[in-house]
Amino acid sequence: MVKLAHSELIVLLLSISTMLIVSRIFAELGKRLKLPIVMGELIVGIILGPTILGLISPDVFGFLFPRTGNVPIALDGIFSLSVIMLLFVAGMEVQLSLVLKQGKVAIYTSVFSMVIPFFTGFAVAWFFPEIFSISNEQGPKLLFALFFGTALSISALPVIARILMDMNLFKTNIGMVIIASAMFNDLIGWLIFSLVLSLTNTQAEHLSLWYTVAYILGFGLFMLTIGKKIIDKTLPWMQTKLSWPGGVLSISLGICLLSAAFTEAINIHAILGAFIAGIAFGDSVHLREQAREIIHQFVTNFFAPLFFVSIGLKVNFIENFNPLIVAIVLVLAFVGKVLGATLGARLGGMTRNHSLAVGFGMNARGAMEIILGTLALNAGLISKPIFVALVIMALITSLTSGPIMKRFID
Amino acid sequence: MDLSKLKKRPSYPFETIAVAVSFSSRCQSIIVQAKKFSDACGASLLLLHIGDKTQEKEQALDEILDKSGINSSQCRLIWMEGEPVETILKLCKLNIVDLLILGALEKENLLKFYIGSIARNISRKAKCSVLLLTNPTSTPLKFKKFVVNGVSNPKTIHTINTSFYLAKLLNVKEITIVNELDTSGLAMTMAADSTAPETKEIKKNLIDDSEEMLKTLMENCDFSNINVNNKIVKGKQGYAISKYAKDKKADLLVVNSPDTNLNLFDRIFAHDIEYVLADLPCNVLIVHSRV
Repeated sequence: MVKLAHSELIVLLLSISTMLIVSRIFAELGKRLKLPIVMGELIVGIILGPTILGLISPDVFGFLFPRTGNVPIALDGIFSLSVIMLLFVAGMEVQLSLVLKQGKVAIYTSVFSMVIPFFTGFAVAWFFPEIFSISNEQGPKLLFALFFGTALSISALPVIARILMDMNLFKTNIGMVIIASAMFNDLIGWLIFSLVLSLTNTQAEHLSLWYTVAYILGFGLFMLTIGKKIIDKTLPWMQTKLSWPGGVLSISLGICLLSAAFTEAINIHAILGAFIAGIAFGDSVHLREQAREIIHQFVTNFFAPLFFVSIGLKVNFIENFNPLIVAIVLVLAFVGKVLGATLGARLGGMTRNHSLAVGFGMNARGAMEIILGTLALNAGLISKPIFVALVIMALITSLTSGPIMKRFID
Repeated sequence: MDLSKLKKRPSYPFETIAVAVSFSSRCQSIIVQAKKFSDACGASLLLLHIGDKTQEKEQALDEILDKSGINSSQCRLIWMEGEPVETILKLCKLNIVDLLILGALEKENLLKFYIGSIARNISRKAKCSVLLLTNPTSTPLKFKKFVVNGVSNPKTIHTINTSFYLAKLLNVKEITIVNELDTSGLAMTMAADSTAPETKEIKKNLIDDSEEMLKTLMENCDFSNINVNNKIVKGKQGYAISKYAKDKKADLLVVNSPDTNLNLFDRIFAHDIEYVLADLPCNVLIVHSRV
C-alpha cells in the first residue's frame, strides 16, 4: 500500500489546518458585514491560491499546496469526499412533500423558475457557442448547452432559507412557496446535471443516453420510494438501540457513501447518489432534530470550507476574469430566474408584489451553483472563464436577493 | 347536482349524520356509535349501503338495527349500487350530510394503503366532515379527551369551534389544541454562521410565534366548562399531532380537511393528513369547514 511520507503528512495536515483556520477567520469577519459564509471561504481560496499567494510567494504556495507527490492526491480525495457530503446535506433539506403541500402555486413557481432559465441558457449556449469558446460540433455543444441551462435554473436552498430566516419570512406562506420551489429546482437540476456529467465522463465506459436516463430515473425512484421506506422503518431502531448520536451518524454517512459509490459504479456521478440518499434520509419523520443538526454542523464546518477554499486554489480568478462572459451570465441568470419564478407565482395566484418577491428570492444561487460549476470544470465541461463567471453570478445573486426581495415585501 | 345549499354551510351543528353500512363484523358497533352521535346532536340519521338490495341483507339490517336499539322510523335508509367511494360522496352531497361516520382500521397493509381503502379515500375527498372510528364497540363510546389541530390555516378556527361544539354535547372534559412546529429547515440555516445564543434565540422566537398564534386563535372560541390546554409540539405537521394524540391516549383527534386534492404522490411523499391516515392514532374527526 502506498503511504504518505512523513514530510508529506506534515504538509497535508498543515494545508488542511491553514484552510480551516483562515476560512473561519474570514467567515467571522464576513458575518459582521452580513456577507454569506461561502464568500469568505472563496476569498481565502483566492488569497491562498495562485491568484495572490502564488504570485507574492510562489515558494510558500508550492510548499503548502504541492502539485506533485502524494499530497495533491490526498487533497483531491478529501475534496471529492467534501462535495459528496455537501450534496448529502443539501439533499437532506429537500422535502418533496412540501411541494405537494403548497399545491398549485409552488408547482407553477418551481416549474416556471426551472423551465424559463433552462431554455434561456440552453438557447444562448446552442446558438452562440462562440461566446463561450465552445466548439460548434453537435456533441460538445449539446452537453454545454444542457449544462448551461441547468446552471441557470438551479437554486441554492441553504442561502434562500437563511435570507428568509433573516427577513422573518421562513414560516410564512411566501417563504414556504420559495422553499418548496427551490427544493424542486434542486432535485430536477441535480438529476439533469448528473445526466450531463455521466455523458461527459470519458474515463468510464459510455452508456447510451436512454440507458443513462433510465438508470438515473430508476435509481431516483427506488431510493425515494422503497429506499426511503426502509430508512424510515429502521431510523427509530437506530436512534434507540445504537449509541446516540454516534450510531445514526455512522449509519447515515455510511448510507450516503454507499449510495454515492453505487451511482459512480453505474457511471452516473457519485454526487447524485449522495443527494438522493440525503433526500431519503432527511425526509424521514423519525430523524431527530439533534441528529440533523450534528450532520449539518459536521459537514458545513469541516467539509464545506475545505471544498470552497479548494476552488480558489485551482483557479486564478484575475487571469480568468472575462467581463463579457460575466456580464452575459449575470444578465441571463437574473432575467431567466426572476422572470420564470415571478410568472409562476403570479399564475399560481400570488399578488404582483409577492410574485416579484418570490422571483428575487429564488434568484439566489449561492453554494449550489459553485459546486455545480466546480464539478463541470473538473469534468472538462466548461472553461475557467465560464467557471469564474458562474462563481461571480452565484455571489452577486446571493447578495442581492434579500435586499431586493425586501422592497416587494414592505 | 345542486350544490348551492352546501356552499358556505357552517361545519356545525350536525343536522344530518350518515353512516356507511357494510355488513362487516363491526357494522353493528359503528351503527351504535352513529346513533349516539345523532342523539347527542339532535341530528337525523341516514344509513347508506352501497350494493344490491336483497332480502337477506334487509333482514340482516333489521336485526342490526333492532340490536342497536334503533327503530326504522328513526332513520332513513338508502340502498344504491355503484362504485362505493364515489357513490357515498354523491349521496352525502345530495342529502346535505354534515357528518359521515365510517369504520376504519388503525393501519392498513402497505399495498392497500397506497391503493387507498374506501374509508381513507372518502376521508381524502369528502365535502363534509368525516368521523373515522377505529375501535367501535357495541356500547356507546365515552369521549374524555380531544386533541385538536391548531395549525396556521383559515380552516383551523372552524375545526376548533366544531370540536368545542361536539365536546359540549359529549361531555368531554379536556381538549388540547396542538400547534406543530416543523424545525427541520433550521439546521441548514444555522449550521454555518450562528452562535449558540443566536440559534437559541431563533428557536425561542419560533416557539413564541406559535404560542402567540394559538392564543389569538383561542380568543375567538367559546370553551366554557371545558378544560382547554395549548401545546406546541415539534415535528412535521400531521405526524407530530398524530404521535401526540397516540402518546396522550386521546379519544378523538380533530383535524382540518385537506387543502388540496390528494393522490398517490401525497401518500408516497406524505404530508399533513396523510400521516394521520397512514396510522390512525385513535378515532379521527376530519372537519370540513366549507370555507
